[in-house]
Amino acid sequence: MVSYTTPIVKLKITPLFNNQSITKNTWYVSSQKDSIQFTKLKFYLTDFQVKSIKGEINTIDHSNYLIDIFKPETLEILLNTVSFNNGDKLSFNLGVSSVINTTGAHSGALDPSNGMFWSWQSGYINFKIEGVSPSSKTRQNKFQFHIGGYQSPYNTIRRFDFVLNKHTTELNLKLEKFFEGAKLAVDNQVMIPGEKASKLATVFFNTLSIN
Amino acid sequence: MSENEFQLGRQLFYDPIMSRDQTVSCASCHLQATGFTHVDHDLSHGIEGRIGNRNSMALMNLAWNSSFMWDGGINHIELQALAPISSENEMGSSLNEVVAKLNASIKYKGLYYNSYQDSLVTGQKTLLALTQFIVMLNSYNSKYDKYIINEDKGLFTQQEKNGLNIFRNHCTSCHTEPLFTNNEFHNNGLTLDPYLKDYGRMRITNKPEDSLKFKVPTLRNIQFTPPYMHDGRFENLKAVITHYNSGITHSSTLSESLNNNLQLTHKEEVDLLVFLRTLSDTEFLFNNRFSYPHIN
Ligand code: HEC
Ligand code: HEC
Repeated sequence: MVSYTTPIVKLKITPLFNNQSITKNTWYVSSQKDSIQFTKLKFYLTDFQVKSIKGEINTIDHSNYLIDIFKPETLEILLNTVSFNNGDKLSFNLGVSSVINTTGAHSGALDPSNGMFWSWQSGYINFKIEGVSPSSKTRQNKFQFHIGGYQSPYNTIRRFDFVLNKHTTELNLKLEKFFEGAKLAVDNQVMIPGEKASKLATVFFNTLSIN
Repeated sequence: MSENEFQLGRQLFYDPIMSRDQTVSCASCHLQATGFTHVDHDLSHGIEGRIGNRNSMALMNLAWNSSFMWDGGINHIELQALAPISSENEMGSSLNEVVAKLNASIKYKGLYYNSYQDSLVTGQKTLLALTQFIVMLNSYNSKYDKYIINEDKGLFTQQEKNGLNIFRNHCTSCHTEPLFTNNEFHNNGLTLDPYLKDYGRMRITNKPEDSLKFKVPTLRNIQFTPPYMHDGRFENLKAVITHYNSGITHSSTLSESLNNNLQLTHKEEVDLLVFLRTLSDTEFLFNNRFSYPHIN
């Protein structure tokens, strides 16, 4: 068995729509026949952990990242304080844990000045998806999903894991899946915690996959 | 906490740079001489004369609060300032915008350096500094406190003692000593304002059983903080006592302890009112440490 002990894990995030890369001002068509352009897509990946085959857990301190698909420098995550053996599992939260949500003002990617924090009811926005679609009969045809909420039963944090067997892993975001479930003529604005937000958190989670 | 961080927070609290058009500071709605609340308005006023939908709250002994705002929507004191900064009817800005303005100010770069050994202004540091100021706003030197420490010294008149007894019979289940709040949410029998339609705690929890419940506010310095209640509907304490004595509106979420009218006599009402005035702490209201910072 090959064993890696070089202290580097690299995660490359690739946002796609029907296997096309995503750029601004480009039209994409969903399976619901909605034409879509993206203006904003940001989300949190936090609390990375390596779990060895024997079950030992190695938590990576301060591993919190705000990904903005229109900022290429945020699409690569380097974890260089961790080593792993082939077969270990890497896991992380899509979203921000309830512990972070309830412990005051944080820094860096978690700084509330990043615009990913609700002010009238404390809590992180785990992801924002915004754009335009003629199907969305709102002002300027905008659709806006600001999804968050850390309290049960409508918790919106989801944990992703995969087996490490190489240094660089590609994490794909297949966004067409998000719009398979959401018909923009009906669902075009979700901005508060609750049942809808919790459902959409699962739908968004299901767009993630390892290449 | 360092003295520098407290002084930075004090500067920020009194500086209208925190609002979009540099007209409104935290102190615009939270004035020291009136227990750090705004007295002549029932609903608070923000930038461009816009009117908010709630009465400003008195700021004191905040470290003992388990949540903030009338509906408890804020879960940690460090996150409190985000709400007024971003509210369209209050300061109409964003933390991001405030951070950019502070980063462009030589005065603030220096103050941040003194507090954090790094002159870069961030959202976190700004929130932490404001917190260091507001958690120091502690009031514990009222006549009531002096009486409690030394109960036998005859500090209270007979009327004040009667008032304290009435208070302990009818009010302490919610306004629990010594903070004069139990930090819970209750419906104290106010009718719904049909214009504001504010259901309080239910907005946060979405639970029907929280309808019309609001945070039990402290009663310290209450004499100086009119008008009263989340929408400022009562102009004076006499009206508040009349409400509890004979004006309770019954609804499914009304607190059990308020189910029956108190049936206080006129004399008892006056005794209660006189007792409430013993909760005033002028050392706090005039403490220079918390006042507008004059720097040279
Ligand atoms: C335009 C008026 C206005 C301004 C400006 C304002 N506040 Fe407030 N403040 C309010 C109102 C109104 C409430 C109650 C709001 C609610 O319950 O929705 C409140 C509540 C609070 C509370 C909660 C107290 C408690 O016991 O729960 C704190 C703390 C506070 N404000 C601090 C601040 C700070 C710090 C600033 C400056 C960054 C500020 N406020 C600016 C009006 C204002
Ligand atoms: C069941 C709990 C409960 C009891 C008992 C109770 N209160 Fe209250 N009180 C509240 C709540 C909740 C509020 C805030 C209500 C709102 O604004 O919607 C409040 C508000 C007040 C206020 C206004 C405070 C402010 O800052 O605006 C005063 C004064 C007051 N109560 C005095 C009393 C007195 C005096 C008694 C006893 C006769 C009493 N309360 C009994 C729950 C209670």
